[in-house]
Amino acid sequence: MTEISTIEPWTDSSQKAYIEIKNVTKKFGDFTAIDNLSLDIYKNEFFSLLGPSGCGKTTLLRMLAGFEKPTEGTILLDGEDISQVPPHLRPINMMFQSYALFPHMSVEKNIAFGLKQDKLPKNEINDRVEEMLELVQLTEFAKRKPDQLSGGQRQRVALGRSLAKRPKLLLLDEPLGALDKRLREQTQFELMNIQEKLGVTFVIVTHDQEEAMTVSSRIGLMDTGYLTQVATPTEIYEAPVNRDVADFIGDVNFLEGTYKGQNEIGTQLDSVDAKCVVYTTQATAADIGRKLWFAIRPEKLEISKKKPDFEHNILKGKIEDISYTGSMSTFHVKLANGKILTACRANRERSVEHQLTWEDEVYLHWLPHSAIVLQS
Amino acid sequence: MKRFSAFNMTTLLLGFAFLYIPIIILVVFSFNESKLVTVWGGFSTKWYGELMNNQSIKDAAWVTVKVAFTSSTIATLLGTIAGLVMTKFGRFRGRTLFSGMIYAPMVMPEVIIGLSLLLMFVALSIDRGVMTVTLAHITFSMCYVAVVVQSRMSSYDDSINEAALDLGCTPFKTFFLITLPIILPAVVSGWLLSFTLSLDDLVIASFTSGPGSTTLPMKIYSMVRLGVTPEINAVSTILVGLVAIGVVTGSFIGKKQKTN
Amino acid sequence: MSKIKSFRGIGRTAVIGIPYLWLSVLFLLPFLIVLKISFAEPIISIPPYTSLLQWGDTFWPTIKASLDGYLFILEDSLYVNAYLSSLKIATVSTLIALVVGYAIAYSIAKAPTRWRGVLLMLVILPFWTSFLIRVYAWIGILKTEGLLNLLLLSLGVIDKPLTIMNTDLAVYIGIVYSYLPFMILPLYANLEKMDFSLLEAAADLGCRPFKTFWTVTIPLSLPGILAGCFLVFIPAVGEFVIPDLLGGTQTLMIGKVLWLEFFNNRDWPLASAVAIILLAILIVPIMYYQKTQEKAIS
Repeated sequence: MTEISTIEPWTDSSQKAYIEIKNVTKKFGDFTAIDNLSLDIYKNEFFSLLGPSGCGKTTLLRMLAGFEKPTEGTILLDGEDISQVPPHLRPINMMFQSYALFPHMSVEKNIAFGLKQDKLPKNEINDRVEEMLELVQLTEFAKRKPDQLSGGQRQRVALGRSLAKRPKLLLLDEPLGALDKRLREQTQFELMNIQEKLGVTFVIVTHDQEEAMTVSSRIGLMDTGYLTQVATPTEIYEAPVNRDVADFIGDVNFLEGTYKGQNEIGTQLDSVDAKCVVYTTQATAADIGRKLWFAIRPEKLEISKKKPDFEHNILKGKIEDISYTGSMSTFHVKLANGKILTACRANRERSVEHQLTWEDEVYLHWLPHSAIVLQS
Repeated sequence: MKRFSAFNMTTLLLGFAFLYIPIIILVVFSFNESKLVTVWGGFSTKWYGELMNNQSIKDAAWVTVKVAFTSSTIATLLGTIAGLVMTKFGRFRGRTLFSGMIYAPMVMPEVIIGLSLLLMFVALSIDRGVMTVTLAHITFSMCYVAVVVQSRMSSYDDSINEAALDLGCTPFKTFFLITLPIILPAVVSGWLLSFTLSLDDLVIASFTSGPGSTTLPMKIYSMVRLGVTPEINAVSTILVGLVAIGVVTGSFIGKKQKTN
Repeated sequence: MSKIKSFRGIGRTAVIGIPYLWLSVLFLLPFLIVLKISFAEPIISIPPYTSLLQWGDTFWPTIKASLDGYLFILEDSLYVNAYLSSLKIATVSTLIALVVGYAIAYSIAKAPTRWRGVLLMLVILPFWTSFLIRVYAWIGILKTEGLLNLLLLSLGVIDKPLTIMNTDLAVYIGIVYSYLPFMILPLYANLEKMDFSLLEAAADLGCRPFKTFWTVTIPLSLPGILAGCFLVFIPAVGEFVIPDLLGGTQTLMIGKVLWLEFFNNRDWPLASAVAIILLAILIVPIMYYQKTQEKAIS
């Protein structure tokens, strides 16, 4: 296994970034796809570009691959400026969303193609192809043509082909989109294993937040041409930068209100929705009376029929809707003012009888450190 | 909504009858003992025999084959380039004119094309012969090839080319190693189309050929003007037979390629 | 859609240039020459027309152009009638071909999938056979002593042979017969892609089959109809072989007129003028055709 000198190189200022995207702008005519974007990606990262359709993540990826040139700005790979280098001269390989396998070549020939371009000796090519076939578990399909393979198999050929040249950087464009759920989960772990084993830096583009959360070392959240937040999955989930980010990943509850100041617990919010003052331990620096939001994840909201024995952060409501998915139950609770909060919990006990049901009067409670303050 | 009704079946039967009965009659009467086209005098292959002895027909056939092979090969080259340019080269100066020049010859009346080419050859003092007919055929055939290739290229997955580039293949090599093999069926059918168009052309050849370069259609036409004889039927039957074999074989190969 | 970026510069220009140059010289240039000759006068010489520029005593050449040809054509009712007649014959033939072709294309589109390939091949096969031969085949059928009359007489349907050969009717039959594949193929290509469940939806909403056909099927197949009509109409206007072999002396078609002026009368300038006027008439449909095809591809 390759040595990773720091677990989180981005926190260490002495570490140099492997990919430096500096003030890159990309315009297509009047349309600005990427707006003055800067990003550092470190070696051996599994970095995800996550965002909705049209946010520019694929454009950014294609600029790394060389299929688009930045209108302004530069891209450095290991210190070298590659902005003007054409794609066939870059030490970067890409795995395409449509797999883009050569239909007239067998699996073997597809994988060998890149190696042939480098004019490697024949036996070395054969060895490398065998190695790749083993890596993606397609050894017995070597002689088949793409149209004789299933979707999952084609995806693995594409992966093997893109890794055959041992690129410094591998770009993946929505690689798991076409797979069914089970295969997708399986492949996610396979990708992570391969990445660790080979010590390659991966940059993946996806619109699937679960996928990004599962595989990434860090996630770059994008929205219409710029980055909203770049952080580890945990940070993005538990410390989102604004309400859009909080809302994009998973479910979240927002309590709107005015800032009342700090006290011994932390930040006080005079919540309109809760019709009372609510608290969180996170400190806030803002003007009194400013509009703020508390964000609380559903799993951190406790729900009970009995009034909890705490002093603060208790809300009363009625169950409007229940969503039962076997392992979890999600409750939509309507507060007195009409606002609906979502609370979910694991079904810890095996019981066929439902303890909480529709129209039940319940109490919601959260611990002060479970909520965060958002200023936008 | 009923899928395939009796009305549909009848339509098809009548339609195909309409298309094929004249050809069948043509073939049948090429074996007619009697010279008359409408009176059956018994089965005979004598007209085919006469055909074999007809030197002028054989010369014309040879000219036609030469012209067809040369013109279709060059037309396929030019037409493939043109088809590529139309789909993948985006906007360029003069694109509208280029596009116009590709589509116009396909619908323009042949007399206009033939006349204009002849007048140009005369104005440039170029002697008319096998070369001028070939040049003329290349010109209109390449447009058909361009359209066939364009149609194929418009559904071509660009990411395959990008993958080749990504793996280190230069754009030039990519065309020959990746693109061309994939679109080869379209290119081949373009060649076949050009070949047939050249083989069959009467009007343009009449305008652009010269002494000693009479093509088979021209010869047949002059025979027809003199009157209907079973010898013409015989020539026609041979041509029909060759084309039928060609088309059936072609579609057979095409089907086999698909299932492979 | 990525453009082949490295073809920028010289490489790209060369690739575009090769077919462009060929077509400009061998397609466009000839038209300009026809235009030039249409302004000349016929003379007994090789070539049999006067040149545009006359070099004489003065330094600059004088342009000797004459509109005689054009005036002659526009004033002579023979030519005017020939143009109109060609347009009429082409239009009628196109409409007949449309009706027949649509019925056949529709039936193929509704046929079971495994038959369609074969059926299409059967449609295309005559197209690959010689045009000339197929027209010739009709001569034997339509003659007064031809097979059609033979059949009808022996069946007792008629008692005098019909005169079809050498009439406009023969030309209609000839054009429809020869151009039918050109009509069927674009129609079929369009109908094959049609979602028949739309027709079922219409029926479900209470629309009768006949009305569904007019309000749903026809509008949806309009691109195919237009393409097929252009492919038949435009070349049919200038058709030569069919009116020559099947039509009579009364059948006036401009393609035949052009041929006669050129080969029989050796009046090149007049033939050129006839061609230019024909081109002028057809230029709008041709451009329209090109526009629809470009739109269809993009």
